[in-house]
Amino acid sequence: MIEKNIIELSGVEKRYGSFAAASGINLDLKEGEFFSLLGPSGCGKTTVLRMIAGFQDPTQGTVTIDGRNMEGVPANNRPTNMVFQSYAIFPHLNVGNNVAYGLRGRAPKAEIENRVAEALEMVELGGLQLRGANELSGGQRQRVALARALIMRPKVLLLDEPLSALDKKLREQMQFEMRNLQQSLGITFVMVTHDQYEAMTMSDRIGVMFNGRLAQVDTPASLYARPCDEEVASFIGEMNILPASVAGESDNALSVNVAAFGNMQIDRNPNVTNPGKGIIIGIRPEQLEIKSEKPEDYPATVQGKVINVAFYGENIHYHVTVDGHDKPIAVSVPNYFHTVDFNRGDTVWLGLQAASAIDLGRGK
Amino acid sequence: MILRSDAAKGYSLSAPATIYVGFLVAAPLAILIAYSFWTQTYVTLDKSLTLKNYREALTDPLVQHLMLRSIWIAGAVTIVTVALAYPIAYFIAMKAHKKTIWLLLITIPFWSSYLLRVFAWKLILGFNGVMNSALLGLGLINEPLSFLLYNEFAVVLTLAHAWAPFAILPIYVSLQKIDPSLLEAATDLGNNAFQRFMRVTLPLTIPGIIAACLIIFIPTVGDYVTPALVGGSDGKMIANLIQVQFGAANNWPLGATLSLMAMLSVGFVAIVFVITGNRLGRRIR
Amino acid sequence: MKRPSTLTGYALLYLAFLYLPVLFLPLFSFNSGTIVAFPIKGWTLDWYRKLGEQDTLIQALWNSIGVGFVAALLSTAIGLFAARAFVRYRFKGQRAAEGLVMLPLVIPGIIVASSMLVLFLFLGLKPSLVTVALGHIFLALPFAVSILKSAFDDFDASLEEASYDLGVGVFETFRRVTLPVVAPGIIASILVTFTVSFDEFVLAFFLSGNQPTLPVYIWSQIRFPAKLPNVLALGSILLFTSVLLLVLAEYFRRRSSGKGT
Repeated sequence: MIEKNIIELSGVEKRYGSFAAASGINLDLKEGEFFSLLGPSGCGKTTVLRMIAGFQDPTQGTVTIDGRNMEGVPANNRPTNMVFQSYAIFPHLNVGNNVAYGLRGRAPKAEIENRVAEALEMVELGGLQLRGANELSGGQRQRVALARALIMRPKVLLLDEPLSALDKKLREQMQFEMRNLQQSLGITFVMVTHDQYEAMTMSDRIGVMFNGRLAQVDTPASLYARPCDEEVASFIGEMNILPASVAGESDNALSVNVAAFGNMQIDRNPNVTNPGKGIIIGIRPEQLEIKSEKPEDYPATVQGKVINVAFYGENIHYHVTVDGHDKPIAVSVPNYFHTVDFNRGDTVWLGLQAASAIDLGRGK
Repeated sequence: MILRSDAAKGYSLSAPATIYVGFLVAAPLAILIAYSFWTQTYVTLDKSLTLKNYREALTDPLVQHLMLRSIWIAGAVTIVTVALAYPIAYFIAMKAHKKTIWLLLITIPFWSSYLLRVFAWKLILGFNGVMNSALLGLGLINEPLSFLLYNEFAVVLTLAHAWAPFAILPIYVSLQKIDPSLLEAATDLGNNAFQRFMRVTLPLTIPGIIAACLIIFIPTVGDYVTPALVGGSDGKMIANLIQVQFGAANNWPLGATLSLMAMLSVGFVAIVFVITGNRLGRRIR
Repeated sequence: MKRPSTLTGYALLYLAFLYLPVLFLPLFSFNSGTIVAFPIKGWTLDWYRKLGEQDTLIQALWNSIGVGFVAALLSTAIGLFAARAFVRYRFKGQRAAEGLVMLPLVIPGIIVASSMLVLFLFLGLKPSLVTVALGHIFLALPFAVSILKSAFDDFDASLEEASYDLGVGVFETFRRVTLPVVAPGIIASILVTFTVSFDEFVLAFFLSGNQPTLPVYIWSQIRFPAKLPNVLALGSILLFTSVLLLVLAEYFRRRSSGKGT
């Protein structure tokens, strides 16, 4: 199958006076993928989404949807539909009329009725056509908003923080349902979220944004394993950051001296954009070994002292101070046997595999 | 939607309102200014420029008297109205359980015709009126009280009644904005209820008090109906004199001059008031 | 509630101060005696019956209704656009524009009246109901704008975006989304501005020429003691109408802010 680009952003920039809400955005979205724009609030992700929807015009650059340049095409003439953060359910219309809103006058009455019923079935609100807009729960409002957008059969569905108004349990259920819906419909979904877990669990690919720029676009697994820099690494999951100096390098390997852990050979990270001699190394807490005796088979080990123990249920976090690094190192251990192996003040050994040390390029 | 910038849409949508109000404020003002330099004898308007009207207005003791009295009555009305209204605003904001009901109750009388409310006071305060007949009937007085109507007291009382919601609402809003934890903090730091009121509540409501004062003071200086109905000869104000110039006396240039002078004095007093009000607010520690 | 405090007592007294004077009008309008004083001679509806026989009064009533209607519709229409501009868009000089629109609230009535009289005559407009309506639009505009602003405040901007997003154009969106959602605010504004115009005296006194509105007619009657009972009956009806309209307006205003978020 040839993957076709459904949306192409090239050199897109949005300025308000001297403030750039988004700049240098180059992004190709493939037909049928679930794509998330992830970043802290104010990073410009919503601005990008609204430029795709047509609510904001780029100051520079072009937005192409399905091969058509969208310059001058207003929101109501774009083949995209949106699920708003507030859901924007029309308060003066009932559920049926809300969902039918965009079709009114464009299709015969009977067809509209059928499509409304079908769309409501799809979001599991079948038969609720006559329910008033103010009688809906948060989850129902979200489903109505989804049905109202999907009934238009958009080429791309845009979702602006679609789950942020829901409580945790409902949010997790909707994540699952929306992912299934997207796969069965085969429509491209573009979702804006600040929640990394939401982005990771739902998306095929994620674009991480900071300060109006796209830092990295990648699959969730790759983002987690090979973040392009310290900022992305710390935003997604937890990461121990240690300085290191590069002693030698080849095409795809680096010989480094990592603070506290010492010398080791690691793989070059292809995503790194700013390599150098003095780099930083990222280590995920769950990839460190923690033992009371010096562990065998680890190329780098260090001795330290437990200063904090945090019990999370599914796993246990230890903070360990070591010589040669001023910050305590976080270690996460799965809770296999319902036992907490170490206590505050215990002397422990940490072991590090070369594959777990991620090259993050030069620091900030 | 994409066609024009937000600012352009803002300007064009608000233009009818701003142009209408702007025109009806600026154009008459310009014409009033022009008139104030002209003179009129009976029906003929002399358009040669002169300061005669200003000279007349500034030297005529009647004008001076009425202008000063207007300002003094407006000041008295403002102080009385705000003083009477503050506890009500405080009650509604801090103590009342059904705030919206109270606010509605306060505003309903205000929506009846202003003319009729003033008229009602005339009937109540009259020599043979409601108040005197009731007091006589109850045996509390032996002869009707004559000081009730046709004086400054009647004007102040009537206007304090008429402006009540204008004083209550701004003060209520500023009280409502006070974060309850500020009051708790003051108590926590050793203030009793009175100190807390003087050092926290009152200073924080000064913007509301200033707004209330301006909203009452400015229109009161130019009030026509109340002095005409309940003011008698002792309660006449500048507006009555202006009306005479545009009506019976048929001296529009002088009327225009008086209007402008009234506007200027109101503006001057209001500015002085706002500045001193803000200063006062800052001196409380 | 705890035992009633002095503050509660004061609040109740204040309410009496606000309501009693106004309530004397209807009370004495049923008094068969012609002097407005206690004790009340007897009860009668005669004064109300006689109102219908007075042609000048009926004419003044129609004048007031006509002026009120025009002033209410036009000030609400102009106010609707302005309120939308103020709530939805940000532009340079916005605060100044909002302040300007509120200005009619604080200019002393006599100055508005006299300066408008001068202006309209300068423009060649003879005092008539038309000039009264023009003046009342000016006076009612701040009320319309502030009511409609709060209606738009409660109106989620993404509702309109959702409509555009679903393929509906600007004007149809206004008709199908904006108008219905803001409708209670519009009704409230029409009711309030009508009442403002209906009760207004000073401007009408200056600008109505020989076409008196109801308040101007009442003013002309107040001077004659013999007409007092008539004025009382008429005034009571006006009071009742104004309060009724305003309570209705309040109801709609509440409805507009209860929804839409």
